[in-house]
Amino acid sequence: MSKALIYESQIGSVLAAVNRDQEPSWLVELRDRGAEIHSALGVPTMRNEEWKYTSLRSVAGVNWNPGEPGPAVFGEDPTYYAETTIRVVLVNGRFDRNLSDVPATSGLTLMSLRDAIYEKPEVAEYLGKIAAIDDHTFAALNSAVFVDGVYLHLRPGAAVAPVIEIVHVTSGEGMVIAPRILIVAEENSTAKIVEQYCSDGSSTNLTIPVTEVFVAKHANLEHVRLQDESLDSYHIALWETKQAGESEYRSYNLAFGGSIGRLDQNIDLNGEHITTRLDGVVVARGEQVIDNHTKLDHALRNCNSFEIYKQIIDDKATVVFNGKIFVHQDAQKTDAKQTNQALLLSRDATINSKPQLEIFADDVKCTHGATVGQIEETFRFYMRSRGIPKATADAILVYAFAAEVLELISDDVVRERLERRLYSKLGIDLGEM
Amino acid sequence: MLEIKNLHAQVAEDGKEILRGINLTVKPGEVHAIMGPNGSGKSTLANILAGREDYEVTGGEIVYRGEDLTELEPEERAHKGVFLAFQYPVEIPGVSNTYFLRAALNAKRAANGESEMGSMDFMKYIREKVKQLGLKDELLTRSVNEGFSGGEKKRNEIFQMAVLEPSLCVLDETDSGLDIDALQTVAAGVNALRSPERSFVVVTHYQRLLNFIVPDYVHILMNGKIVKSGDKSLALELEEKGYGWLEETVGV
Repeated sequence: MSKALIYESQIGSVLAAVNRDQEPSWLVELRDRGAEIHSALGVPTMRNEEWKYTSLRSVAGVNWNPGEPGPAVFGEDPTYYAETTIRVVLVNGRFDRNLSDVPATSGLTLMSLRDAIYEKPEVAEYLGKIAAIDDHTFAALNSAVFVDGVYLHLRPGAAVAPVIEIVHVTSGEGMVIAPRILIVAEENSTAKIVEQYCSDGSSTNLTIPVTEVFVAKHANLEHVRLQDESLDSYHIALWETKQAGESEYRSYNLAFGGSIGRLDQNIDLNGEHITTRLDGVVVARGEQVIDNHTKLDHALRNCNSFEIYKQIIDDKATVVFNGKIFVHQDAQKTDAKQTNQALLLSRDATINSKPQLEIFADDVKCTHGATVGQIEETFRFYMRSRGIPKATADAILVYAFAAEVLELISDDVVRERLERRLYSKLGIDLGEM
Repeated sequence: MLEIKNLHAQVAEDGKEILRGINLTVKPGEVHAIMGPNGSGKSTLANILAGREDYEVTGGEIVYRGEDLTELEPEERAHKGVFLAFQYPVEIPGVSNTYFLRAALNAKRAANGESEMGSMDFMKYIREKVKQLGLKDELLTRSVNEGFSGGEKKRNEIFQMAVLEPSLCVLDETDSGLDIDALQTVAAGVNALRSPERSFVVVTHYQRLLNFIVPDYVHILMNGKIVKSGDKSLALELEEKGYGWLEETVGV
């Protein structure tokens, strides 16, 4: 059988495993639509412009099975959590009550999405309405097969101080894991969220998460996403956010994991006076392929968006960056800045970088810049001449490269944990900064 | 302290010969000025002492405290007390001066079998140095040289030198691009570090720096060789007569 046929018959069994009997009709409709889109689009090939540099042949060639609850052995490892947080843990896409710790917090609802579908009628107003699955075959598949996930709701005016962590763990092999996350920040609410994907040991699953975020008027959210799955796994995700007027959304995508790690991050600026950050730090080593497609839609006037992507590429790894910014006709006085920089640490490392600005308004400020470089010998010599050994000098310079983004993460505990993870990913030990 | 014997060196990339037999002896506590026109090889000499890999030593020796320096990596030279104040200090955004210097000092201490200095002790130590040199505390939290003016960068070089307490300080055109106030501050910093155990090699194009850092010896470098040596009056004579005078008298 050809790879495509293997894939289709296997994905049929993944689709068939979903028990829809008790589900509300709106969800059944969403599932049908998802299944239809996925079956029509299949697994994209490199002839598809959006997948030009990332081959999914290896994904198409695996006998995928439906996701099953996994053992949660990892539990106690403190490197996964910050201590001062509200935390939910999902194992193979299923909410795990034993590992989660959600103290009663004023204005915050944080629960299993499966439960929320039955208990919280407002879920129907958002779920599947924010993420555009028509062009995203794996988000469509997620819609058809997701079993559980997280529902995070902030009441109007809610101000949650501790960081809210959503930790996804995958374990086992050969499964399609489809977590679904819905975040609704009502008017004037504020919170900091960390969404983290990791593996329990060397799991070899296909994780296809979809995260939908609604940021209402005057709401203020900081959202960090860390993709740190095992180097044998596949991670193909959609993260889509809708912002209403006068809201602020600061998002940081840290992509370290996966044999193939692909994220499509879309933000719709659907109001005036919106502030948006869409930043990324990518570290790819070995033969990893890490592919980030970002899209900012400026619909109305007087909005600011800032995007900085820092990409560190070593060994034979490949990184793809595609950054689309659409400034629509009514989006006068838009201020949009995009920067993407790649630091190549080896001769065999590859970066494919494509800024893509489409501007239909005439009174706007839009800039973009892309650079590719290596560690400069002058910098290295300067540090060595002060007594800093070569390996440490390189580590400090790589850190400094990523720091411009990492420093923006406002919670000290989260930032320092991510910095430590960045070092360990790079195989460096810098001691205390 | 330092004995350079018949040193020959070339640019590693294209094999262009720059130093053609340099001889120089520097004793503990002495200040030696190396003067010369552009392209004479004086900056190359400074960089070779610190171990810059852009240059290749093709002959001769650099003996520092009885050991051949040319065999050592740049960081090993630093650990043994060699310091180069750069003509163009490098900006490193995202790395604070404090972190940078603690990494440097602790690497040196570790190499010399001393224990690492903890962050509290280190803060106390560098605050003292800041005070000694009349600098501002904000220097400590700023990223290394990022957005610094020319004068601030050179002051930061001297500050780093004060923190690392080297035995052999090589100053590569530390005066270039400085106004008179910055020049005086930098010179005062250097003078404060002068001691019977510490030697200086001051590379400069102009005599004016030597009004403030008074050398024991002045050497004129031309076309890769020291063509004349003398005391501080040689610098004044050179200032008056220009390099052209020497070209005629020594015939290079």
